[in-house]
Amino acid sequence: MLYALRKAVYGLLLILGVTFISFVLMVWFGPDQTYTLVGKNASAEQIAEVRHQLGYDQPFMQRYLDYVTDLFTLRLGSSNASGEQVSRILARTVPVSLALMLPGFVLGNLLGIALGLAAARRRGQWADRLISALSVTGMSISFLVIVIALQVLLSTPYGLNLFPVRGWQVTDLPSYLSYVAVPTLSLVLVTLGYNTRFYRAIFVEEAARDHIRTARAFGASPTVVMWKHVLKNSLVPIITRVMFSIPLVVISGSLLIESYFGIPGVGKVAFDAITSGDQPVLKAVVGLTAAAFVLIQIATDLLYRLVDPRVA
Amino acid sequence: MNAERRIWGQLRDDPAGLAGLVVVGLFLLVAMAVWLGLIGQDWSAADGARWETPGPDHWFGTNILGQDIFERAIYSVRTAFEIGLVVAVSSTLLGALLGALAGWYSHSWVDGAILWLKGVLDSIPFYLFVAAVAFALQGKGWAMHVAMIATFWTTTGRLVRAEVMKLKTREFVLAARTIGLPDALILGRHVLPNTIHILLVQASIAFVAAIKTEVILSFLGLGVQDGVSWGLMLAESTQEVLAGHFSNFLAASLMLFALLMGFNLLADALQDAFDPKQASQ
Amino acid sequence: MKSPVLAVRDLSVFLQDGGQPRAVVDTISFELHEGEILALVGESGCGKTKTAEALMGLVPTAAGSIELCGTNLAALPEARLRRVRGRDISMVFQEPLTALDPVFRTGNQIADVFRRHRGLGRAEARRAALEMLQRVGFADAGHVLRSYPHELSGGMRQRVVIAMAMACRPRVLVADEPTTALDVTTQAQVLARLTEMAGEAGTAILLITHDLGIVAHYCDRAAVMRMGRIVEQAGVDQLFAQPQHPYTAALLGAARGNLLS
Repeated sequence: MLYALRKAVYGLLLILGVTFISFVLMVWFGPDQTYTLVGKNASAEQIAEVRHQLGYDQPFMQRYLDYVTDLFTLRLGSSNASGEQVSRILARTVPVSLALMLPGFVLGNLLGIALGLAAARRRGQWADRLISALSVTGMSISFLVIVIALQVLLSTPYGLNLFPVRGWQVTDLPSYLSYVAVPTLSLVLVTLGYNTRFYRAIFVEEAARDHIRTARAFGASPTVVMWKHVLKNSLVPIITRVMFSIPLVVISGSLLIESYFGIPGVGKVAFDAITSGDQPVLKAVVGLTAAAFVLIQIATDLLYRLVDPRVA
Repeated sequence: MNAERRIWGQLRDDPAGLAGLVVVGLFLLVAMAVWLGLIGQDWSAADGARWETPGPDHWFGTNILGQDIFERAIYSVRTAFEIGLVVAVSSTLLGALLGALAGWYSHSWVDGAILWLKGVLDSIPFYLFVAAVAFALQGKGWAMHVAMIATFWTTTGRLVRAEVMKLKTREFVLAARTIGLPDALILGRHVLPNTIHILLVQASIAFVAAIKTEVILSFLGLGVQDGVSWGLMLAESTQEVLAGHFSNFLAASLMLFALLMGFNLLADALQDAFDPKQASQ
Repeated sequence: MKSPVLAVRDLSVFLQDGGQPRAVVDTISFELHEGEILALVGESGCGKTKTAEALMGLVPTAAGSIELCGTNLAALPEARLRRVRGRDISMVFQEPLTALDPVFRTGNQIADVFRRHRGLGRAEARRAALEMLQRVGFADAGHVLRSYPHELSGGMRQRVVIAMAMACRPRVLVADEPTTALDVTTQAQVLARLTEMAGEAGTAILLITHDLGIVAHYCDRAAVMRMGRIVEQAGVDQLFAQPQHPYTAALLGAARGNLLS
């Protein structure tokens, strides 16, 4: 009970903090939309009218309170730029971003775990050194370089010319696969070095524990030792890493890929909202991301209990 | 000092780390030469035809405006070091300060406030945060530095906090407290110097992260505002490669890779050298 | 005299210690006969645990042979060795608190041994595990079977490890300071149960300890180890009455001194 209360208070404080910082940055200091909306040669009354609609004439605290109230009552409003309802924008773009990022995110983590296990099992041998060297190499290549290189190699006449250069004309499974292929491969290559290294370090630590020696002394094979004992004991840090990178990958990671390939996802929409000062959209994206973090934290705590009997 | 000697000894026996150190050193020399005005000064002169192929006049060819790509790539070394050093040093110092305060006053309201700030900053999608900072600062060139420093300190802060909490219970710190030295003095003189191994490794990691982030930000139009950087060159190349002009892309990406690899190897070697537990295994 | 179940000849183990390999076990030889309890005595750091790990094939042997019922384990490929470990030779560890995998139920960990070495099915292995728990003296074996290690005390966990170790009635059991981490009353219970079960199964025990009281009480013979070498080997009565090596005498003297003080 006390635990639930603490989580609730912490979650509330986190949401308030995120919304406050984003409010100060994105709303208070953000772009002024008055003149984009009123058009040319507006009268002073028209300008005042628009500023009133946008809430610009309110004092700081009043505007922040309105912002938070709107968020908590889920009154997301409509985009200043297009007039489209924010909830509809999100319903349109979030699934695109998820469909775009999920395959690469899942593959990148699964491959990282597999390579990390392979390296930790052969610790200090050439296979381990090779995997570690490749991880450092992967960590030293820029996201943008990987995206450009893969695009040239896979989607242009200078390379294999297999996939569409850009865009997202997804109607069925084959078209989805052809559009998602290059972004997925990019995301895997970008994250694989970091993932492998992270997971290898965890597995090496777990493989040095006393109970691993017990398992070996009772005839467990290296495969059983790694995939059963080491992996299950490593699930807490694995879950932590995976869960907490979901919101960041879906927003930050998709922003770059969506901008590069011209894909209408939530990352692109949020970025455009910042650069144009489209506050209703911004409010929704930032506020919901913070809420997602709180939910993820609770879900993560529940998952810990599932995988580790010592967590009570 | 003994510890320093041991770390140098470790580094000497680590060929990859040594190679990293040499690469970073070479790049640093290039950056200094650019600062001193010896090389890379003609990065903005449009004295060639558009998209010239590599040749004796323009070693790496020219870009769409006829600017020399070799000069631009060389000048970008300076840009990279400016961004990397400013962000790495500032974010590491900020992380050391906040982490030390949180660790020293652990489980007090100071600790709670710092942890809360860290949690909040970690929950805002990074590029949205940078974009917002860039706009709040009205397109100022150092907006991206501010944004990176404001977010990069959290990892250092977490590590330093944990280390300070450990150091707090050690005899030499307890002794200093018993004789009544002020907290600030104990922190500055006895505790923070013992976190130097964390700070050095984190600074080199932050350096790499800053340069990589600059590339993304420059592509998004939020990065380097005046001057040239590998990020700007890569952003330029995104259109060129579709037309078959690869000079910008190759020059920027290869130099970027060499510097990042050098720093990553160096960071690894430092980490190994500082970690006596790992070194003995 | 019958041939020994375990014959160790000139066994050496090297440890890579900052570049230079160092012998932590230095050409030691000993034999172990069916049903016998041999003590391996020495102070900490003398190479006792490394000897145990080498016998199990957990660390590579640099030289020498380890013949278990005529098969040289030191020359066996890893895949064959795995079929011997936990079946013909098994081990009980010094630290019961960390010896068991914390995320699996104890019953599963014992059942795994039956499934691996006896080829039993899930339900059969579970029944066999339950029986082993009863035999190591748990009145509420069904409850222990479903428990996670952290829910059990150190003495209980050590008995679970003994259940695992004796599951396949091994020829040889290596017990590495099995009671050092336990309190005195539990020590006696655990050792009594261990020797009793080994006696029933005809299992020979290599009992590694630094506690001469345990040696006197439970063991037939003792080997004294110092700095990687065995300096003296004799029957327990003879060793206590007439130590041949000065180190043994010193060790006995120190133990008596402890008793007096």
